[in-house]
Amino acid sequence: MKKMLAVAAIAFLGTAPLVAVADAPYTVNAEGKVDKATRQGFETWRSAACERCHGPNQEGMVGPSLIESLKVLTKDQFKTTVLTGRPEKGMPNHPQLEPKMDALYAYLKCRSDGACKTAKVTAAE
Amino acid sequence: MSRKSMLKQGAIAMAVAAVPGLALANADLGKLMKDPKNWAAPAGDFSNQRYSELKQINKNNVKDLKVAWTFSTGVLRGHEGGPLVIGDTLYIHSAFPNKVFAIDLETQKIKWKYEPKQDPSVIPVMCCDTVNRGLAYGEGKIFLQQADTTLVALDAKTGKKIWDVKNGDPKVGATNTNAPHVFDKYVVTGISGGEFGVRGYIAAYNIADGKLAWKGYSMGPDSDMIMDPEKSMTWTDGKMAPVGKDSSLKTWQGDQWKIGGGTTWGWYSYDPELRQMFYGNANPSTWNPVQRPGDNKWSMSLWSRDIDTGKVKWVYQMTPHDEWDYDGINEVPLWEGKDKTGKQRKMLSHFDRNGFAYTLDRVTGELLVAEKYDPAVNWATHVDMKTGRPQVVAKYSTHQNGSDVNSKGICPAALGTKDQQPVTFNPKTGLFYVPTNHVCMDYEPFKVEYTAGQPYVGATLSMYPAPNSHGGMGNFIAWDPAKGKIVWSKPEKFSVWSGALATAGDIVFYGTLEGYLKAVDLNGKELYKFKTPSGIIGNVNTWEFKGKQYVGVLSGIGGWAGIGMAAGLEKDTDGLGAVGGYKELRNYTELGGVLTVFSLP
Repeated sequence: MKKMLAVAAIAFLGTAPLVAVADAPYTVNAEGKVDKATRQGFETWRSAACERCHGPNQEGMVGPSLIESLKVLTKDQFKTTVLTGRPEKGMPNHPQLEPKMDALYAYLKCRSDGACKTAKVTAAE
Repeated sequence: MSRKSMLKQGAIAMAVAAVPGLALANADLGKLMKDPKNWAAPAGDFSNQRYSELKQINKNNVKDLKVAWTFSTGVLRGHEGGPLVIGDTLYIHSAFPNKVFAIDLETQKIKWKYEPKQDPSVIPVMCCDTVNRGLAYGEGKIFLQQADTTLVALDAKTGKKIWDVKNGDPKVGATNTNAPHVFDKYVVTGISGGEFGVRGYIAAYNIADGKLAWKGYSMGPDSDMIMDPEKSMTWTDGKMAPVGKDSSLKTWQGDQWKIGGGTTWGWYSYDPELRQMFYGNANPSTWNPVQRPGDNKWSMSLWSRDIDTGKVKWVYQMTPHDEWDYDGINEVPLWEGKDKTGKQRKMLSHFDRNGFAYTLDRVTGELLVAEKYDPAVNWATHVDMKTGRPQVVAKYSTHQNGSDVNSKGICPAALGTKDQQPVTFNPKTGLFYVPTNHVCMDYEPFKVEYTAGQPYVGATLSMYPAPNSHGGMGNFIAWDPAKGKIVWSKPEKFSVWSGALATAGDIVFYGTLEGYLKAVDLNGKELYKFKTPSGIIGNVNTWEFKGKQYVGVLSGIGGWAGIGMAAGLEKDTDGLGAVGGYKELRNYTELGGVLTVFSLP
């Protein structure tokens, strides 16, 4: 929550063009634009059609809300879940996403923290 | 099909049965269907009219309807389809893991139960709901089309497995949700997985041993489709003409047809006199139209195939080059009557996802009517009756707007003015009664690469109730199929995702997502409603046992309506919480598969 406030504050101040929040795997600038990796994470999210279960805004449908899950899971737990899946719960494995895990984590963390205000994010130039 | 022709069909079936070893299924099943005490096929009969001659429950006494008995399937996810009733036994299925129960109508005791073992890795490939649309019966066998594509024949008396056959490969995203259909001596099935780049087909297996009789693909070389370039016909320049050589291949770039979609997960109908089956097939893969230039034939089409050979008699593409996921699988009920010029014809109608309702001559394939069945439909101005092509409005063309552009305010939404929820036809009124969606969307295509077994979707959608209307997400309407006109329209708060039933009692039944079973009169006036244990996406069926008429419906919220409404955010900026339609639905119902059976006290 503290981090969220920090990001929000920075966003409202609108001074720094591209701000890295302490410990956050993403950056969001004053116009709400993100770093390249976070944008790539979004592209991975939509290509893998995650929204079919987790909702177009990560709010959850048949699958759980990732807004909530990313507040609880560690990065390692997140990676394991995505790569090996939870077939008994309907979560498929995604071994092909291995090279994209850091970016996907950054994007979803950004959404979970509230720093990315919309599901669709654009990269700062 | 009229009652008269049903009788005729019965007579033909009996005549055929006299010839040893020929078409026994038709005789058996045709006879069972002729008796309204049974509900012997997914839609009650071959014609898919979902009409019953039973009238003990009628417009005067339906208000007194009471629950006779209930049955839980023990499965939580979405329950589509409905029960079969043959004699003293009711057969009911569940969502994944696709349990089958045979229930004694006298005692409501379970006679037998069948539960297949299926690899749970099939569940995510079915994403996002694990529905099954029910069973078929023929020659003393109950047919189950499992999610993992295994087609199983069970002994209707004991539940013992007689044979099974693999119909597809879940590893590449092929699954099954459709009900199998028994036509003549074949059990006919299709395939799902258009969102995984699966190339659709219809397959007919011999009832006797499960051996593949024929398999006709939706696209590709003529031989794959069982298309005769000279004899398979299509609507061309105001008349029927041969499709010509490579009619599909010419409309795809390179090898894209190999992952071209056009799956076949709906309800099929059959005319035993013509020996032709009829069905619609699905959208081309991917959902990003920019990536697949051309008409993408024969996705999004209505088909007539010979039941013995699978050969295409005629085909008509409703939505060339889909840009909206207007999947064309909806059922094609058969009916007879006068067309708008007064000519008596054998016809079929089809209420497409694209918001147009079509009437065709089912013998020839001629296009007779194509009109909007929801005034909200805006993506096309009309269907040009000469070319048969919809006239697309540029601002709603997601291809013209391009990848990474959000095309807004398109009506209907991808789930269509109607999805799989089947309509009913009352031969007495000559009208269809149609459960519809009243939902619009924003659609943003993006580039996507194909990986076998991974989603191949390529568009982000946001769906919401049709703007500037009654605020609800559905209507239940009456439709004149000869004139192509809405007769009346009854607004509903949510999409009507339940199959309807018309009866000789001058009433029409349907279910709602809140969970109500409703009965209306022929003017759409509500006469009865009862809240079942969960939202209804199943179909209302009826039968008679020991002199009493029963009406049964599966409840069990889910399917695309139940979960798709979560996409009900009108704007991305609405925030992170679940707002819109789905949140509202949560105020009415919870998960759980239950069959509720009604009768008069």
